[in-house]
Amino acid sequence: MENLDAARLQMAFTLIFHIVFACIGMVMPFFMVVSHYKWLKTKEQIYLTLTKAWQKGVAIFFVTGAVSGTALSFELGLLWPEFMKHAGPIIGMPFSLEGAAFFVEAIALGFYLYGWGKLPEKFHWFTGVIIGVSGVASGILVVAANGWMNSPTGFDYVNGQFINIDPIAAMLNPAWFTQALHMVLAAFTATGFAVAGIHAYQVYKKRKVELHTKAFKIAISFGAIAAILQPISGDISAKDIAKRQPVKLAAMEAHYTTEKAAPLYIGGVVDHEKQEVNYKIAIPGMLSFLAFGDFDAEVKGLNDFPKDEIPNVAMVHYAFQIMVGIGTLLLLAGIFYFISLKRKKWLNTNKYWLLFVILAPLGFIALEAGWIVTEVGRQPWIIHKIMRTKDAVTPMPGIVFSFYTYIVVYLILSVAVTWLMLRQIRVLNNSNM
Amino acid sequence: VAYVAANKSSKQFKYVTMLYVVLFFLIFSLYLYVVLGGADYGAGILELFSSEENQKITKRTLYRVMGPVWEANHIWIIILIVILWIAFPVYYNIMVVYLHIPLTIVLLGVTLRGVAFVFRHYDAVIDNSQKLYDGMFKVSSLITPIFLGIVFGALISGKITIAEDPGSSNFYEAFIKPWFNVFSLLVGLFFAGLCTFLSSVLLIGESEREVSKIYIRKAKIATVVVFVLGLVTLIYGGFFEYVFIKNFINSTYAIVLMLISGVLLIPLQITIQKGRRVLSRFFAGLQVFLILIAALLSNFPNIILTEASSISLLEDIAPQSVIKVLGISLLIGGGLILPGLFHLLKSFKMIKILER
Repeated sequence: MENLDAARLQMAFTLIFHIVFACIGMVMPFFMVVSHYKWLKTKEQIYLTLTKAWQKGVAIFFVTGAVSGTALSFELGLLWPEFMKHAGPIIGMPFSLEGAAFFVEAIALGFYLYGWGKLPEKFHWFTGVIIGVSGVASGILVVAANGWMNSPTGFDYVNGQFINIDPIAAMLNPAWFTQALHMVLAAFTATGFAVAGIHAYQVYKKRKVELHTKAFKIAISFGAIAAILQPISGDISAKDIAKRQPVKLAAMEAHYTTEKAAPLYIGGVVDHEKQEVNYKIAIPGMLSFLAFGDFDAEVKGLNDFPKDEIPNVAMVHYAFQIMVGIGTLLLLAGIFYFISLKRKKWLNTNKYWLLFVILAPLGFIALEAGWIVTEVGRQPWIIHKIMRTKDAVTPMPGIVFSFYTYIVVYLILSVAVTWLMLRQIRVLNNSNM
Repeated sequence: VAYVAANKSSKQFKYVTMLYVVLFFLIFSLYLYVVLGGADYGAGILELFSSEENQKITKRTLYRVMGPVWEANHIWIIILIVILWIAFPVYYNIMVVYLHIPLTIVLLGVTLRGVAFVFRHYDAVIDNSQKLYDGMFKVSSLITPIFLGIVFGALISGKITIAEDPGSSNFYEAFIKPWFNVFSLLVGLFFAGLCTFLSSVLLIGESEREVSKIYIRKAKIATVVVFVLGLVTLIYGGFFEYVFIKNFINSTYAIVLMLISGVLLIPLQITIQKGRRVLSRFFAGLQVFLILIAALLSNFPNIILTEASSISLLEDIAPQSVIKVLGISLLIGGGLILPGLFHLLKSFKMIKILER
């Protein structure tokens, strides 16, 4: 395997892993504080049990997210030293603020986990809120740094030198808001449906039905609202990419020839050699409308871009289809959930719970697919139109061995964390409460 | 013209101030990582070198003392790395390119250790898997600080050869030799010893009278080990003419600071015997501070020494605009974090004894 491919795979692999843990660590505190709030309000023991069960989950995921994040902060340099040498100072601002937010989160977590019965009730609850808020802030800041790779600003690039660096302009690059909004909603959708699915399974199996129903309702409420809002954010993102990275949009849609009233392809098999998409459903004029708000607008096709500036079309197209497909499904599921609140008897059927069990992993699959669209779609650039990924990779040969090591370690970790969670749930179900 | 000149000099003043703010936070977070993270690593090493009975006691104490704070303790290394890559990109670049292998080992150690710590304290079921977590925790607690020390040793060893294209140079010369040598290993062992010393002083104050005797004994052993390793490192480095060590031995400041650090063993011993926990921790922390400052001062501002040249913390740095913004961010971040952190450490044991 080439060094570049090994480095890209290692980066992708560790990010795919980290994103799951980071999202859960970022969103679950919100579920926890809602349950905690209900405990303080109603003094129903069941909410206390649930809060304490969730806080263990938060602790485990926070640490796994934190250590994989520490690893990433080194890997950026270990794998892409040339990128970090130039980009590090420019995008340092969001990273240093992220460090601060992360620190606040760790401090608040320390207070929360060990503060039961020691801190004043309201203050203790509030430290839980701080965990969630600073977690989301960290997420937004890291995404802002990624936004800069897609839309580099805040410097002048003259003769291969980065000059007149403005770190604040770099942080507030044109992509930061659309990407951050999309990611935060995605994190809430994915975590909401995943956690709800786990509790739905317990209800399905008739274990501690009251507890798990309450847990399900809290988690799914967050997930459903986020899923319903996500298409708005998706639309903003599409229009933004059409302007800033037209080649990425063309790859997402596997759109080869420049044309007016461009059709939107749904599904289909990409034949990159023949520049065709087979077995697709085409909606006339729809791509033009989604990208530019005008059914007749011209959409530039892949053929009109230099050959060496085009990402892997098939991969980006498929990932995009998966993301949008699942997104639509979860939107419908979200609406379905709110309808079910009016139809109480649905909740007594096994099918209802089974449905949410099946939906559980989908949010995360969509989220990972979305990142594949962003990151593979950005290739061959590591800094859009400024630096190519191949010019940024470490000169040290043999990265493939490091890649294999990471795969083994992270796979073991994933198995271990899953196993640990199963044990938590089993103990919760066997407890007297 | 006078106005423009004054304006310019005031801008220059702001820049220099911010550069020193950045340098302060760099050394501050390095120090806190060495002391807080170090004590945390040391606890794992202590456990590794204890009898089975004592291991159980240490594990319980460790959970009570470190549980609420250990995550915060380890974030200092992230702050350190972020400051390095933003403000000192050349320095960071040399580190990540030539010391890829030991840094990767550090990362694996950090990952396995963090996960093991959480697993062994949060696993809902207590069974044989605890043995696995304990084993993972203890071994990675030893390996990680050794390799952290090796990385630092490599940076100051003068064995790094900066190449135009490191990828095409000899793999051993470029990526192994800089860290795989006796000197770097000595620095690594020295750091691990220091961690154990810090941890045993911390744990003395956290245990009952009978148990604290164990840690007093460990603290004595650790002190001897650190002293011997430090001496061996200096003799080895002096004998083989390592530039860093030569400058260190010839620096009056460094020698004086080291002597003070050595003399502080007396008040440390007394405060431990009298059960003055805060003071004993203060003295142990101060000793480490003096050692660190001595090492940094003796070669300042050159912190990386390579075969042909040295990298200066004052010269090979990011543009002025970056330093200014980073300095301001650090001041704001520090203002947010430090009171919270102090309160956390105070609320949960680490310095709670202050109130007694």
